[in-house]
Amino acid sequence: MPHDGSGPTTRANWSPYDNNGGTVLAVAGEDYVVCAADTRMSTGYNILTRDYKKIDQMSDKCVLASAGFMADAVTLKKTLKARCTTYEFQNDKPMGCVSFAQMLSNTLYYRRFFPYYTFNIVAGLDAEGKGAVFTYDAVGSYERTNYSCQGSGQGLIMPVLDNQLKTVSPLVLPAQSSATPLSESEAVDLVKDCFATAGERDIYTGDTVEIWIINKDGVRKEYQELKLD
Amino acid sequence: MFMTRSEYDRGVTTFSPEGRLFQVEYAIEAIKLGSTAIAILTKEGIVLAVERRTQSPLMVPSSLDKIMEIDSHVACAVSGLTADAQSMVEHGRVQAQNHYFTYNESMPVRSLTQSLCALSANFGTDDEDSMSRPFGVALLVAGHDVDNGYQLYHTDPSGTWTAYKAKAIGSGSEGAQTTLQEEYKDDMTLKEAENLALSTLKAVMEEKVSTANVDMASVAPKYEIYSKDRIKEIIERL
Repeated sequence: MPHDGSGPTTRANWSPYDNNGGTVLAVAGEDYVVCAADTRMSTGYNILTRDYKKIDQMSDKCVLASAGFMADAVTLKKTLKARCTTYEFQNDKPMGCVSFAQMLSNTLYYRRFFPYYTFNIVAGLDAEGKGAVFTYDAVGSYERTNYSCQGSGQGLIMPVLDNQLKTVSPLVLPAQSSATPLSESEAVDLVKDCFATAGERDIYTGDTVEIWIINKDGVRKEYQELKLD
Repeated sequence: MFMTRSEYDRGVTTFSPEGRLFQVEYAIEAIKLGSTAIAILTKEGIVLAVERRTQSPLMVPSSLDKIMEIDSHVACAVSGLTADAQSMVEHGRVQAQNHYFTYNESMPVRSLTQSLCALSANFGTDDEDSMSRPFGVALLVAGHDVDNGYQLYHTDPSGTWTAYKAKAIGSGSEGAQTTLQEEYKDDMTLKEAENLALSTLKAVMEEKVSTANVDMASVAPKYEIYSKDRIKEIIERL
């Protein structure tokens, strides 16, 4: 075929990305944070595994939950975990969640033109022991919030969280705590309800919900079964 | 001490058979020719005092700065080759800003000191930012961070750092260090430390102290260089 532009144009249709679905969620309280994710990993109409854990501990009081493309999430977490270890050696303390949040943002933005196809939530306790949730887009724009949901079930769960947890505007005086007024067990129940609901309607959310609860006593995990269909 | 020179004097990275690195030892000696610098740590902050040697009345004293800011929470007093100190401080400033950029927190003082020492120890290599000889400078790094409060570190040309409560470097350091050892108290106020720093400096200086030949600063908890008026006030207090 002549390469003078007269023939039909062909393009490589190499696609480096996949979306493996899944939902991640976090709720911050005054002295705790709850982070949850389902364990299903899909591609198209296929379920690849029912036991893929989307939440990983990055440092003492800080976890990262990632939905989206599994291969990117694994690489991202590997990089971040190595940086946390290096940080701990260099600074003689575990990385705080506020620092981790900034580092994740930078790491994502450095890939501005070939992004990690991951949708992240960082959950942890800040220097004062208050619950902290940080929510991201794929290229590192982030914000500290008191609750967030990302991934395939986001559209189903986020309105419920808004309805149940929306706090007063930060512009209102006197300033009020942005943390959810719920108790730890109430927050865990809300998270379970959210996933049960999303599991009914979203084919990419299901199998099991893994729930991490972080408070001053440490890290605890709970599991709840979801529908397998 | 160094009466007989040997072939081990030449290579900066070559140990003598006795296990010594002569160029590093000479660099440490070079600091003893520098102007005196003193730092005192208290629970309220850290005081830095340095002498500034003007060799001629035509020299502009403000161009001989021996106290430098690394970040708003860390400062250092230097003695030895000031040009080398400037390279090190510049490196420290970049590290501090990088840490803030990456981690959204000010760089811990110990990490910053460690990074300055890593630069110090990295001479005679093929690295891009490597010096051909050791840095001929000692630093008194004073800073404050959330986790460890006030900290004072001394660094030397070998890249060794040590934490101190009070330390003197430079030509008058031997005498000054003895005075500090006798006069230092754990429960000193910042004001008392200012007095001790300046009176110690006064005792080891050849010239009479004035606002023209001493410089002072504090980190409490932010870096602040003292004005001439403030130094005058301290001189009058002694």
